[in-house]
Amino acid sequence: MRAALGSSGLVMGAFAAVLGVLTTALGLARRDRRIMNTGRQFTYVVLAGALIAAGAMEWALLSHDFSLAYVVKNHARATPLLYTVAALWGALEGSILLWALVLAGYLAFTARKFRSRAGDPLVAWALLVGLVVATFFFALMLGPANPFKVVSGVVPQDGLGPNPLLQNHPLMAIHPPMLYLGYVGFTIPFCFAVAALVTGRVGEGWLLETRRATLVAWAFLTAGIVLGAWWSYEVLGWGGYWAWDPVENASFIPWLTATAFLHSVVVQERRGMLRVWNLSLILATFCLTILGTFLTRSGVVNSVHAFTESDIGAWLLVFLGAAAVTGLGLIAWRGDRLRTPGRIDSPISREGAFLANNLLFAGFAFVVLLGTVFPLLAEALRGQQLSVGEPYFDRMTVPIGIALLFFMAVAPALPWRAASGDVLRRRLAGPAWAGALTMAGVAAAGARGVAQVAAFGLAAFALAGIVRVFAVGLAARRRADGGGWFHALAATVAGNRRLYGGLVVHAGVVVVAVALAASMGYTTKREAHLATGERTALAGYHFTYLGAVDHDTGQKRTVKARILVERGGRRLGVYAPALSIFPNSAQAIGTPSVRTGPLRDVYLTLVSSPDETGRITLGVQVGPLVVWLWIGGGIMLLGTAVAAWPGRRAGRRAQRVEVSTRPSPPPAEERLEEAPV
Amino acid sequence: MSAARKLLPWVALLVVVTGALVVGAAGRPDSSAAGRTRRIASELRCPVCQGLSVADSPSSTARAMVADIRRRVDAGESDAAIRQAYVNTYSEQILLQPKGSGFGALVWALPVAVLVLSVGGLGLAFRRWRRRPVLSPTEADRRLVEQALADAHEET
Repeated sequence: MRAALGSSGLVMGAFAAVLGVLTTALGLARRDRRIMNTGRQFTYVVLAGALIAAGAMEWALLSHDFSLAYVVKNHARATPLLYTVAALWGALEGSILLWALVLAGYLAFTARKFRSRAGDPLVAWALLVGLVVATFFFALMLGPANPFKVVSGVVPQDGLGPNPLLQNHPLMAIHPPMLYLGYVGFTIPFCFAVAALVTGRVGEGWLLETRRATLVAWAFLTAGIVLGAWWSYEVLGWGGYWAWDPVENASFIPWLTATAFLHSVVVQERRGMLRVWNLSLILATFCLTILGTFLTRSGVVNSVHAFTESDIGAWLLVFLGAAAVTGLGLIAWRGDRLRTPGRIDSPISREGAFLANNLLFAGFAFVVLLGTVFPLLAEALRGQQLSVGEPYFDRMTVPIGIALLFFMAVAPALPWRAASGDVLRRRLAGPAWAGALTMAGVAAAGARGVAQVAAFGLAAFALAGIVRVFAVGLAARRRADGGGWFHALAATVAGNRRLYGGLVVHAGVVVVAVALAASMGYTTKREAHLATGERTALAGYHFTYLGAVDHDTGQKRTVKARILVERGGRRLGVYAPALSIFPNSAQAIGTPSVRTGPLRDVYLTLVSSPDETGRITLGVQVGPLVVWLWIGGGIMLLGTAVAAWPGRRAGRRAQRVEVSTRPSPPPAEERLEEAPV
Repeated sequence: MSAARKLLPWVALLVVVTGALVVGAAGRPDSSAAGRTRRIASELRCPVCQGLSVADSPSSTARAMVADIRRRVDAGESDAAIRQAYVNTYSEQILLQPKGSGFGALVWALPVAVLVLSVGGLGLAFRRWRRRPVLSPTEADRRLVEQALADAHEET
């Protein structure tokens, strides 16, 4: 029943997508607005199909319908509600279903947003491309990744339950949907880019249409990556948050190219340049999301995320190839229209900094991509088994990260076209000295490591630059309007939300950079064998083992070690790292216990439960500033929201005019600076 | 202000930054037995894990390997000899970063090549931009504009 309902949802979605493609194509061929509009409306039917299928799957999970193979593999009667709902994206077939649902949602939203322009070939082509992508994902589910496959033979009484790692922390319920909202969101700019190339309207129009879509997708992907790192830290128990795991990389590479795009797009808006580059970045971002799905879902790499072997790999590769060839072919075909007469006058200018930024982001993406697929290449081309892991990635990416931090500090102060020495001195000297003195200060205070000292200094440089831009804007606003600081701040930000939102994102990056440098450089850890009542020490903390507690919930059997944490004779509390045995897995799954603090985290793991003599092995780790990684991620999202929140555009314009007629307007060059978002 | 005067603050800035970085670099690599063990362990891949190093992995295999590395360090073996012993047992796959020779060298060389090419390309682009006068529209451009206007007219 649920299987039939789900399958009919899939068939409905697939048919609607195909019919939508055909109808829209017919409308485009005949230049008939009404036919194009009909094609547009098929996106709603696709969404309905996806909703029915996803709803049927959730219903099957919640009602323990073990006649479905997917439910048997990923759900058990004892699975708690949250992980039951989350089982939809806990394995291959379900995650493709979630992908299709999110894509259908984005398409329907886009179709609704552009309903008044249904006859515009740009919009029609964009929806057509989106429907082609949707057709592919529905075809996957009707073919090699069918989530509604029925078990053969007797229907089992209970299922196996989700992978133990996926039912161990509530973050599991939000990290994947966030990631998918980001990943899939990049389909929309891709659709518009292809539409722009096909229609030949390769000017700035399509960029403006997709600017917010790109930002929203970027924000979700950022949230997904940060939440994934947090989940890794809270669950996996090795004390880190990023292992350069192939699938972490697969989410990070499109983030890098998308971030490059968000910056270079400003150059195109402003100067009409870099058209080919921007189209290539959007194309690359979309292709990299498909490549990421291929890496995650085909079983070619070993990773926490790689689900079982399946033959959807070949499908995804063919689709990836088709997308890349189509995109590159279109760019080559439209080459003549993409050439722009503009030029960049000086490398020391805003454009120059954006170019450097793009070079670095593209290089960053290239290094991560190369390191991720290199073992596959070595095996395919040479039959050689190689590993590329953390030491490689750290060595290659830390210098790039530091260079990016430098440009992030400098770029917002550079004017467009060319910078004079005086402008540079006025805008940069203060922040640069803040950075230099910070470097001297941390070095004198005993901070070691070139990368760390440089990162702290550049972070201070960037932060001071951000504060300077805010201060200039605020002062101008107060001169113009009078009024209190808070009012002036609100008015300043509202007057140019892209600039100030972008600067808030940068402030978030600064926070993340400092936290990364500190936690990568100065984390200490050790292991100790402890009998009840014994204690060990690390970095000024004392840890006393008080005894173990057993706990059995049916979902899992858990041993918790109670550890008293003290610092300087003061009791900080009793923490309980645990080891759990799940019925469907032989290996014990550790659950770390973390004492989060503003300056440092104390991270406890139970490495082995009590042996015959009653001794446990306890892992302790003290890592500085870790919590600021998550806070920094939150600040980045806040800034994105400020920049991208649907607003009163007309009102903003009116306000600008009003400001410019005041007796003492702020200096023009400072007022109209554009942010990179 | 003379040019030299103008440059002076920047030179001072550079001196402060360089000084701080030099002091920051002064920390010697930890040559204690524990430090060496940790460094070697962080360069070896845990054979039963998914991409974690021996140093990071909480698995029992990795912990046994750390103990073995420590034993070898205490027995006076050099870092290179310990690494080689593991390569002999597990093949080169045990190393988390490929050696700088053979096919594995490509993973180091390609990014450098890309960097050189892109910086070179950018340099050329700037030179061309500088030489080229600001363009006036050509006949072809005008035709393009007319065509686009006609297209736009048709669509609306």
